[in-house]
Amino acid sequence: MTLPLYYNWRNLFVRKLTTLLTVAVIAVVVAALIVLLSFGTGMQRSVGGSGHPANLLVLNAGATAESTSLIWPEDARLLVQTPGAAVGPDGQPLVSLEVVVQTDVRRLRDSSSANVAVRGVDDVGFLVHDQVQVRGRMFTQGAREAIVGRAAQSLYRGLNVGDRVALGRSRSHEYEIVGVFESAGSAFESEIWAPRTMIADSYQRRFDSSAVIRLDNADRMAAAADYVNGPAVRLKATSEPEYYRQLSDQSQQVVYLVLGLVIIMATGAVFAVANTMYAAVDGRRREIAMLRTLGFSRLAIVAAFLVEAAMIAGLACLVGIAASLPFSGLRRDFLSNVTHSVTGFEIVITPGICLAALAAALLVGVIGAAAPSARAARTPIVRALRRG
Amino acid sequence: MDLLLTLLLRNLGRNPRRSALTVAAVAMPVVILVLSFTIVAQLNRFLDDSAAQLRLAVAHKTSIINPLPYGHKARIAALDPQKRDIIAVVGIAWIGGVLANDREPLTTMGVDADEFPIAFTDHLLTQQEREAWQRDRRALIVGRSTAAKMGWKVGDRVTIRASIPPYSEFSFNVISTAPKAIDPVANWCHLSYVFEERARSGLPESSVDLVSFLFVKCSGRAALERYRVEIDRLFENTPDETQTQDEKAFLNQFISQQFDLPTNLTLLALITIAVAVLAAANTMNMSFRDRIGEAATLRALGFSARFGAWLSLTESVLLCGIGGCVGVLAPVIAFGYTPIGDVQIPLIVRLEIGPGVCVVALTLALAIGTIAGAWPAIQGGRLRVIDALRSLE
Repeated sequence: MTLPLYYNWRNLFVRKLTTLLTVAVIAVVVAALIVLLSFGTGMQRSVGGSGHPANLLVLNAGATAESTSLIWPEDARLLVQTPGAAVGPDGQPLVSLEVVVQTDVRRLRDSSSANVAVRGVDDVGFLVHDQVQVRGRMFTQGAREAIVGRAAQSLYRGLNVGDRVALGRSRSHEYEIVGVFESAGSAFESEIWAPRTMIADSYQRRFDSSAVIRLDNADRMAAAADYVNGPAVRLKATSEPEYYRQLSDQSQQVVYLVLGLVIIMATGAVFAVANTMYAAVDGRRREIAMLRTLGFSRLAIVAAFLVEAAMIAGLACLVGIAASLPFSGLRRDFLSNVTHSVTGFEIVITPGICLAALAAALLVGVIGAAAPSARAARTPIVRALRRG
Repeated sequence: MDLLLTLLLRNLGRNPRRSALTVAAVAMPVVILVLSFTIVAQLNRFLDDSAAQLRLAVAHKTSIINPLPYGHKARIAALDPQKRDIIAVVGIAWIGGVLANDREPLTTMGVDADEFPIAFTDHLLTQQEREAWQRDRRALIVGRSTAAKMGWKVGDRVTIRASIPPYSEFSFNVISTAPKAIDPVANWCHLSYVFEERARSGLPESSVDLVSFLFVKCSGRAALERYRVEIDRLFENTPDETQTQDEKAFLNQFISQQFDLPTNLTLLALITIAVAVLAAANTMNMSFRDRIGEAATLRALGFSARFGAWLSLTESVLLCGIGGCVGVLAPVIAFGYTPIGDVQIPLIVRLEIGPGVCVVALTLALAIGTIAGAWPAIQGGRLRVIDALRSLE
């Protein structure tokens, strides 16, 4: 025999202020958890989820990032023979040579300067990176035109279609922005793309930064990597998703730091809940004894208090989610310590994060209520009844 | 007053479980407070100490990672041939670096060997170190936290592969682990070694004599301000325009762009204060309700309403004060006297919890107690004695 939920619900209103304060404590923890988690996952998704599984990224053997890599033209030519490379409509292998440089732009938010990656690509680049979708017009090869990633456009000043952005070693070459592109939320969306030959000329570069090779299928990755890493080429091959996963190590660390702090905060909330539930148990000793006399089992009493704590936690979770919603859609960027360029990300509060927060809140509630409920179950019936 | 104290202590001991839970619920947020404030304070101290070095950082205007021609050094030095305002100009070439079989990026920089000790007075403190630095082309000064992490000590031979072209392996002799350096992470080597290595590896000539930044040591604030503008003017309308900032602004752009940790941690700390206030207020509210009868009895005996209010308030402040002490002591002990202290916090090196942060945290804990106790205190003051006594069982 269990107690009706209505009994628990009514009990929440007996001590309104206490219930309210307890709800508030958990709600604040939930809100902090949600915002921090979405911050962390947004950051990781912006980098970690980038790359196509059948793409092989080639860097100089010593380089750790595209921005500090250098591939000489004679080495680049060898990549055309990579085994397993897919072939494009023109019969040429899908090998995209890319120049990755940077330019300093101002943030819309506070006018501070941000180092944005500029990628020079040929037409084949859009076959290799086929997730890139251009809105507006594509740049024309041979013209000083550029397209801008969606994240970059929303974070930085002067990157709208029709604007002119100054690029080049001394920023003396103006490129007209003719389009905006999306790439399924990947790191590319934080970049500016322009024709490779024009970028190489503007930055006075006689070499490329990286090459991306589209393979027939992801199974041929190992053979292709062996060729690139081997004595014939002596460059370094990584699968594109793996490269970006490594780049997200840095944000991973911050996520751990922040989660550590939230766990301490949640522990504090557990104590607060325990306090409230102890008060509830103490205040209802006679009532509990009465229920026992009526035939409710110890288990039913324990369950009743746990359900009550869970209700408080659930309520708090709803409040916490509501409080965190205004942060959803917020856009920020961070400077990578590997590429030294900025990546934009969006704080998105997903159902998954809300579920995680609910689980955390229920955990806090139930752990906090565990000892008080056990105490309630042990209430000596006769003595508790006599006291009144 | 004695009575107040007696009652206060008795009240605290009356429901020891509740008091203990409240102390714990307040202590946890204080722990976060202490940790967050320490991280922020350490970042700020790092910036302020750097600013006190009176150095300007000259970078390429196009982007912080665009290199500058090394020739800029002589042109900047020529602005003040008597060296009255500009004491030294140091070329710095960032080579980053990784160890074999390790992905962890290092911060290694080649610097002008002659000027470095003049401009970076927090390094090479002993005559012996200075001699070793000048004598050995492959000398390496290792940041002390890097040294601790890698287990390097003076006399070791280490091989670091540069993260930028020519990506060659540099073999260094560790001559110092920079015990007093402001920057505990960065490693410093001879710029000439970097240039040689670039030339040897067949990089085109134009890519050899390049530096990432130039640091300009000035004689005073006025000189700092003056040359901050003058250096940029000197290179205006050349292919390699510069952006000159004082060192604090220069370093801050890296720190604030990496997740804006100072702002976000301060925010988190403020939120936790809210949690502590709510938790403590809850306890005080419960305790007050339990003791309504007592409060009324005291009033009936002739004690003033003020006395009752004081009783609530002091109890709350005391509880939160104890919570504050626990919350401060826990991290101080954990990071000062246990192996936890060796854990490297991302972006920060080693947490050193200063007395200032402890005082701030304790003050905040007392403030939390005051706020939490205020409501029951006001209620107690307004108590209608007859009603309260009548409601007694």
